[in-house]
Amino acid sequence: MPAVLEPYIYEGGIHKHTLITELLEDLGGYLIQKVPAATEVMLTMLIPRDDVHLIEDLGKKLLGNLTKAPLTGTEIAVVSPTLASHHLPHSACDIAEYLRRDGANTNMIGLARGMGRRVALSADYERKLINEHDLAVFAFGTFSDCIRNKKPKLLEGIRVPKVVTGGPDLKTEDVANADVYVGNIGRVAHRLRRSEELNSLDNMNRKVGEVVERMREEIAKDPLAVLPPRVMKEIHEQIPQIEYVLSPAPITLQLDGLRVKLPYGEFHESIGNLEFDEGIRLSQLSRITPSKMKNYILVKIKRESEVGFVI
Amino acid sequence: MEALETFIVESTVPEEGEAYRSIVSDIISELVLGGAIGRIKVVIRPEDSLFQMAIILRGSQKPVKMSDFAQVGYGAIERNEVKITIDEEKYLPALLEKLWARYGRASIIQPERKTLVIRQNEDPEKEIAFLEDMVIADPKQTLQSRLVEMAIRTTPEGFRVRYHSMKKNYFVFVASEDILKPEWIEEGHRMLAELQEDK
Repeated sequence: MPAVLEPYIYEGGIHKHTLITELLEDLGGYLIQKVPAATEVMLTMLIPRDDVHLIEDLGKKLLGNLTKAPLTGTEIAVVSPTLASHHLPHSACDIAEYLRRDGANTNMIGLARGMGRRVALSADYERKLINEHDLAVFAFGTFSDCIRNKKPKLLEGIRVPKVVTGGPDLKTEDVANADVYVGNIGRVAHRLRRSEELNSLDNMNRKVGEVVERMREEIAKDPLAVLPPRVMKEIHEQIPQIEYVLSPAPITLQLDGLRVKLPYGEFHESIGNLEFDEGIRLSQLSRITPSKMKNYILVKIKRESEVGFVI
Repeated sequence: MEALETFIVESTVPEEGEAYRSIVSDIISELVLGGAIGRIKVVIRPEDSLFQMAIILRGSQKPVKMSDFAQVGYGAIERNEVKITIDEEKYLPALLEKLWARYGRASIIQPERKTLVIRQNEDPEKEIAFLEDMVIADPKQTLQSRLVEMAIRTTPEGFRVRYHSMKKNYFVFVASEDILKPEWIEEGHRMLAELQEDK
């Protein structure tokens, strides 16, 4: 029975931060992402529940701080109707930034023809791309009439949970096809930094966190054959080329899989041949497909009921 | 007329009009139009996909001539030089562009921050008279282009069918997703008329 892992973000100085990563490795935790910025570093990690205090103590000694990051290990699509100045950088980027603070990896997706009321629509390719994520957050505008009557058609065909943000204070039932509606985050032309705006962003993170929690419980009923962070660790050890990928998250974790940012044609076989200590190969435990995003590799891990065992 | 003495944004649902007002005011301040707009009224009806805006500008500014911000005089007389002393640096880039076009880059020397010397072969007296009357910047031109930018940015996205009318200081803008109805345009002009009466 594997230890229960809890997601945390460590923020502190870059000096001696390797002590943390070494301790984490000794404890059997996983480092998900490391973002160095000048003299600071941000480590996103999964720590065994019983050993959190050890990391916390070491972190205190190094004058850094450890905070819980409930969205760690999720890949969220932040969808705005288009990439025009009406939505970017505010509020869509602010939404994405706030989700990242809780540990999520976000991708901004601007639809090609999502603007307007009657003319708004999404393409098949866009829907498939959004469906590759764990969850989609749709950033809509100010008018309740649009959100209620016109925009929900952009949510059609999206099979992952859909969180909708908008200006007016509506109920979730008012927005067809949405799983959760979060109000008070409409179209704005300034950075969201007033306290009431930040409150609504906090509220959004809480609601997204609840959705993710439900999804985790769902997965726990029929667990994954192997934990995605373990696959991530094996890729780092067995495929050295991943070190040359310049993207901030060369391997992006999802709740039920991962996205490997290596070209599919060249690497999908070596990913499939990834061997675990138990002598099992990744191809036996997962479906490896080309991702709709660039030329990346999408790995979706099979469930226990399908494989017959868990490693 | 004071700057922004009337600033109304109306929508079918009053709270949404209030939210949209914040968008409009952000855009106005981003484009530095606050001082140029006297009165503005915006009406949005999302259920009809309709956006209407009427603006009265405060009296437009005159074109800026060289003599408004600089003194033009003689430099070294034996070499026919003309010397320009500038009071306001904000027009310097535009001024240099014009001078380079006329005399060539090599003939314009800037010995220090606020002084320019022109090396040329014509009669300096005639050149000085010409330069003093030269139009360097036209605020009206840039104001119009900023106003158009503002209209496009404030319109809800996707409202691609547009009507606009700019007469003297009066600006009417109507936009929709569908074919514009004549009564919407009339309504826009009525809004402008109301703004004009409102004293």
